[in-house]
Amino acid sequence: MTSHDVTLEWPDGRTRTVEVDENETILEAAECDGSVLPYGCRTGACGTCSGRLLEVEGTRPPNSERAGDGDADVCAVDDAVAYRRLPRALKDRHRAAGYVLLCIASPRADCRIEVGSSVHSELVDNPWK
Amino acid sequence: MSDASTPGDVEPSHDHEHHHEGPGYATPQAAIEEGEREELAYVMGLYVGTDVDAPDFVSVVDLDPDSDTYCEIVDRIELPNRGDELHHFGWNACSSSCHMDGLERRHLIVPGQRSSRIHVIDAQDRRNPELETVIEPEEVFEYDLSAPHTVHCIPDGEILISMLGDADGELPGGFLELNEDFEIEGRWEPPGEIEMNYDYWYQPRQNVMVSSEWAAPKTYYPGFDLEDVEEGNYGQRLHFWDWEAGTVEQTIDLGEEGLIPLEVRFLHTPESTHGFVGAALSSNIFHFWRDESAADGDGEYRAEKVIDFESREHDDWDMPVPALPTDILISMDDRYLFGSNWLHGEVWMYDISDPSNPRRADSLSVGGTFGEVQEVQGRELAAGPQMIQLSLDGERLYWTTSLFSSWDDQFYPEESERGSVMLKADVDPRKGTMELDEDFLVDWGECPAGPARAHEIRWPDGDCTSDVWQ
Repeated sequence: MTSHDVTLEWPDGRTRTVEVDENETILEAAECDGSVLPYGCRTGACGTCSGRLLEVEGTRPPNSERAGDGDADVCAVDDAVAYRRLPRALKDRHRAAGYVLLCIASPRADCRIEVGSSVHSELVDNPWK
Repeated sequence: MSDASTPGDVEPSHDHEHHHEGPGYATPQAAIEEGEREELAYVMGLYVGTDVDAPDFVSVVDLDPDSDTYCEIVDRIELPNRGDELHHFGWNACSSSCHMDGLERRHLIVPGQRSSRIHVIDAQDRRNPELETVIEPEEVFEYDLSAPHTVHCIPDGEILISMLGDADGELPGGFLELNEDFEIEGRWEPPGEIEMNYDYWYQPRQNVMVSSEWAAPKTYYPGFDLEDVEEGNYGQRLHFWDWEAGTVEQTIDLGEEGLIPLEVRFLHTPESTHGFVGAALSSNIFHFWRDESAADGDGEYRAEKVIDFESREHDDWDMPVPALPTDILISMDDRYLFGSNWLHGEVWMYDISDPSNPRRADSLSVGGTFGEVQEVQGRELAAGPQMIQLSLDGERLYWTTSLFSSWDDQFYPEESERGSVMLKADVDPRKGTMELDEDFLVDWGECPAGPARAHEIRWPDGDCTSDVWQ
């Protein structure tokens, strides 16, 4: 089975590289590795497990803009991961900005992903503020 | 009086004899008179969505002012998995089964909102409840349902749970029924009766159930997005069901003034067809009732906006801040409607002696965006009042501050760093006044694994948001 190196990067500077088979999700591999990642539904509906692609080996990086704006640039995400189910919690603008649901995503390339609960909180802003 | 010691008294009630041999109280008035002061509270505690490596938990909070551990979390029932988002919960039996000899209000049904996992906790030992059974998400998904929310017992020992989505987190939602052995009995209603779902309440003597609408789980799980409002992805309808048949008899579209109708409450009096629902996004409260003269004498339900909370300007916000009334409840004597305006930072009480014309009795400005009180005992309040619970005698109102983890992160991001608190107001039902009890503070910011959020509150022996009478 083909596997890929997925490097998880936390906001506090910690990093961890996990070898992930193409038939397992990044969340499952991280759990086996003892890494603590946030998650909720494990079906791609809630977005709690959101990570953000920082780099995909062999491709240009996804749009560096955070959720909301930016050119459609889902190609990097599609190069990096395959989904078991539809990533329902992510809107087009989230996917364009490189957000990935780690509970249903399996790697198709070596990549670096920003992880931790703060990534999920980037998906939506306070609309009144 | 605890259920365990409730005598088998017999109280004639209206046109039928009401044999009280089971759990709860024979009537709402009996709950007021016979219920003892709450000494413990069960409160949802949660870590979902944070980096804290711990599962959500049920908190046991000491509310006995004479206790050495008053205002402390004296026990935490940790659940087996992370990621649940404990939210709302309920008892296996309540006063609706007070005629059922042998049935006890003993088991707490505790769903995970995000995980769709359903826990059953044995609370026979009120201070040391224990996890008994877990229904795993895959068992729930088999019925094409997810996102369990409101738990009510059905008279005679079965349990009904409102489910907000299908197995994929899309619409439609529905209702899941558990049997008295806490096994999935199946879907309660014929699938397809409704699209959106949220809270519900039933009046068996009127053969009616009312349900409200939030949105598809995939819509509200990640957070609140105005784009979803524009696309019509949030609910604005009330559904009135035939309780026996499990079918929708009437749907009322509340319109734009009724956006996101959340908590829905019938009056406690079992004869009543009056109730209230809070429309969170529109910051309105609607009164609903059955108009017997409507529909050529067949009768139908009506709904009318009766309370409107104005948005307020704030220097740090680009647009006027909506009140966001997220929880309401009715006092056991049906005299007052209480509620919380989470964004503004306010708890309020309205006299609903005439339910068509609620009269503002009192309010407290505490926490939130505008609260006059922003700290208690030196503890900064990270968010506004949210889930509320009232003592059976109507003299003590308690509340917690977390709404939903992803929505908290949007509107009160500091809640994840500081954790939630539980606060209390002393209520004078005779004068219609509230006073903040500054000696009372329960702090989830000091939990051993890290700051936790706190959500719904339940009393061990029945409360104003779960007991129903047949």
